Amino acid sequence: MPKTKKLAFMALLTAMALTIFVIEAQIPAPVPIPGVKLGLANIITLTAMVLLGRKEAGVVLFLRIIMGAMFAGNPSTIIYSAAGGLLAYFAMCLLVGIIPENRLWLISAISAVCHNAGQLLACALVVQTPGVFVYAPALAASGIITGLFTGFAAMYLIKALRKMRN
Amino acid sequence: MIVVASFRAEGKFANFRKMKTKHILILLVAAVLLCAGGFWLIKNADTGSVAVIKVDGQVRDKIDLSKVEESYEISIDTEYGHNTILVEPGAISVIDADCPDHVCVKQGKLTGGGLSIICMPHRLVIQIGGSDIDA
Repeated sequence: MPKTKKLAFMALLTAMALTIFVIEAQIPAPVPIPGVKLGLANIITLTAMVLLGRKEAGVVLFLRIIMGAMFAGNPSTIIYSAAGGLLAYFAMCLLVGIIPENRLWLISAISAVCHNAGQLLACALVVQTPGVFVYAPALAASGIITGLFTGFAAMYLIKALRKMRN
Repeated sequence: MIVVASFRAEGKFANFRKMKTKHILILLVAAVLLCAGGFWLIKNADTGSVAVIKVDGQVRDKIDLSKVEESYEISIDTEYGHNTILVEPGAISVIDADCPDHVCVKQGKLTGGGLSIICMPHRLVIQIGGSDIDA
């Protein structure tokens, strides 16, 4: 892909991720468990990772987290989304070379669990209460379920984007 | 047992390429069920009746819920934000907060068990009993 086109595509993906992130923040939490959310913005991170590469996906993710905290309210939550996002990103980088692309849903599920783990770890450090780990099983389960969902969504998006480009 | 047997038949545990989709899905469902079981166990754990309110890791208040006779409200105002806590006989809950998601309010009443009410943006934790109180 030419450099300019790639830059434009990255900007487009960042805008999409940010839009999804802001809209998702308006959706009330489906279950009253702190930290549980759909994680729809992860669809874009996965898509960027498959279509562009690790480095580019990292840039898109970094920009989304920084700008997401600016647009979607509370700046103190940036610690949680950054810790979760970083851990999920590393998991994704590692797995994308091991697991074939037709099983992107598995990469997504594992990275979603890692996101929740990172978020919970950050929360435990911030509030200095190991007691928050009581939510670890609930967050692991929700990570698997939402991760599978976003993984399938990313697979459809990648398929559509590839078709569009050709 | 079925899962274990299927892994033996497939050979290497960590080789995702050789694993069948069905087996991965069974593994994921098993993991979800296991986690749900763990959550249920924690939720129903016997932890006593003393509620501890913490902000930023510092204990703000300790209330024995079994000795509360009349309901009252506590206001927690910190640099992170505002929460209103309702203390009732045998129960504690957050009834108002100025955070964006209101997860702490939706968590409802805490009457016992191992779970806690957590307001992540405001660094507020309310838990009943628990091993890390006296430490």
